[in-house]
Amino acid sequence: MEHLLRDGAVHRAAYVDPAVFALEQERIFRRAWLYLAHESEVPAAGDYVLARLGPEEVLLVRQEGGALALLHNRCAHRGARIVTQPTGNARQFRCPYHSWTYRLDGSLLGVPLADGYPPSFKLEELGLARVARVESYNGFVFGSHAAQGPGLAEFLGGLRSALDNMVDRAPAGTLTRFGGRLLLEYRGNWKMFMENAVDLVHPVFVHRSSVEATRAHDEALHADELTQQGAQMYLANGMKGEQWQDVPLHAFPGGHVYMGGFYRRGVIAPERHDPVFERYRHALVKRHGEEKTAAVLAVDRFNNLIWPTLSVNARFAALRVVKPLAANRTVVEVHCFRLDGAPQEMHDLTLQFVNLAASPASLIASDDLEIFERCQRGLESAALDWIDVRRGVLADRREGDGSIRSPGTSELAIRNQFEAWRGYMAR
Amino acid sequence: MKEELEAFVLHEARLLDEQRFGDWLALFAADGTYWVPTRPGQGSPQEALSLVYETRQLLEVRIERLRRADVHVQTPPSRTVHHVSGIEILDPTDRSWSFEVRSSLIVAEWRLDEARWFAARVLHGLRREGGGLHIVLKRVDLINADAPHRALAVPL
Repeated sequence: MEHLLRDGAVHRAAYVDPAVFALEQERIFRRAWLYLAHESEVPAAGDYVLARLGPEEVLLVRQEGGALALLHNRCAHRGARIVTQPTGNARQFRCPYHSWTYRLDGSLLGVPLADGYPPSFKLEELGLARVARVESYNGFVFGSHAAQGPGLAEFLGGLRSALDNMVDRAPAGTLTRFGGRLLLEYRGNWKMFMENAVDLVHPVFVHRSSVEATRAHDEALHADELTQQGAQMYLANGMKGEQWQDVPLHAFPGGHVYMGGFYRRGVIAPERHDPVFERYRHALVKRHGEEKTAAVLAVDRFNNLIWPTLSVNARFAALRVVKPLAANRTVVEVHCFRLDGAPQEMHDLTLQFVNLAASPASLIASDDLEIFERCQRGLESAALDWIDVRRGVLADRREGDGSIRSPGTSELAIRNQFEAWRGYMAR
Repeated sequence: MKEELEAFVLHEARLLDEQRFGDWLALFAADGTYWVPTRPGQGSPQEALSLVYETRQLLEVRIERLRRADVHVQTPPSRTVHHVSGIEILDPTDRSWSFEVRSSLIVAEWRLDEARWFAARVLHGLRREGGGLHIVLKRVDLINADAPHRALAVPL
């Protein structure tokens, strides 16, 4: 794959070639830790979540003793999918085809007409296939198809802080996933989503229509909080290049990166001044004390990317999970969380922030999806092979913690993602 | 009355098909809301995420944007046909509106080189204001509300 990268440029085949996509599935998505679900989605024994983990469909199941099992959703007999509901609770799993029945840990409990099998047929050898590794970090559950490799905490590296910060924001010290999910689809490569999330030169061009429309209807800025929050979010996308310059990017080994905050005013500022937020702050102080509360709330990073598939927004208690389906087809799942112990109004604000920023009907997200599809169509052309990623390279600075820092207008994050890509794809 | 309510719902759909978005918006009451849930049978906008949950003020921004030349996701614009049928007039299920209309909706959309279609049950909560009917709530329950969707730019 070395031939697809050269200094400061990426070959378009990395986005459009199905053979490259197939190799990514083997070398990246069967190796890396991929986000699956949150512990709060499977609180009781028998609770399960059906999810896509790289190229496979898997079942995350809470066991009787509280442990988690990660199983392939495929009957060991004829291969039928066992579960078809996205979530549920089961005492055991029974295949609808010939009723092979499995315990919650995937072991085979029984099959019909057992007398007719030879002695070589052993139940204990025929359970549901297990995914090599499942691990939880601070409540966030990840799976990996690789038996070997770094543990989850090591893999998360410099971005553990993003997950920690979301949990620290909960006055009760726990998060609860709520609100279902939004699902976006685009006819484009998965990498485009991860790159665009930390490409801070695009907003002023791609989202200009939303910014200008908000300026023309600033009554939305003076309405109720839910509406104000949305209008302020639209406006923030109108920041000029020199302002984005001040929003730093921090890139870490493994392709991970976070960007600084860019919301400065009003209900979307890092610290608001209104009765609901005061109640929330008070509850947080009870947990952490003044000093740590101030430190937790001061973290105003916007997107935190845990490469290859997770984007974390701790301040707005949301995750976006990228699910690559084909070289030119991607689904993005959007999840959000209750900060347990926070006032109900905070949860309402979370839902509406996510609706307005991340739904496929969002003024912001819809234009991003359109651009991804245009890029994919353009890159299918053989007219030009190389995509330049040198913007801002002269300003890259290596930090003491092993990260690289650059102004927000840099393409540092994209270069860093391809460094990780090169590492996975080389062998 | 029944005829007036039916005519209103058909007129509302026609305005969208003719891309008269400003006139469409004018049908909403000052406290009107347009809601497309993500969950079949979703109880409230506070219970789960929504594809769209917008007050009149946010709809103003949405519609203003569609008028602009640089709205990429509508360059070129969608062409739609709203097919409304099975219109029923029911007792209001909420005190904030005085008339409740339910209908079946099929939207065919053509944009760029591709056709899409949407199917939904629709609720119109209407109130009479200054002589005319106004929308307090338009709720669109897509049969695939919980499926992945590509960009959705124009109202359904």
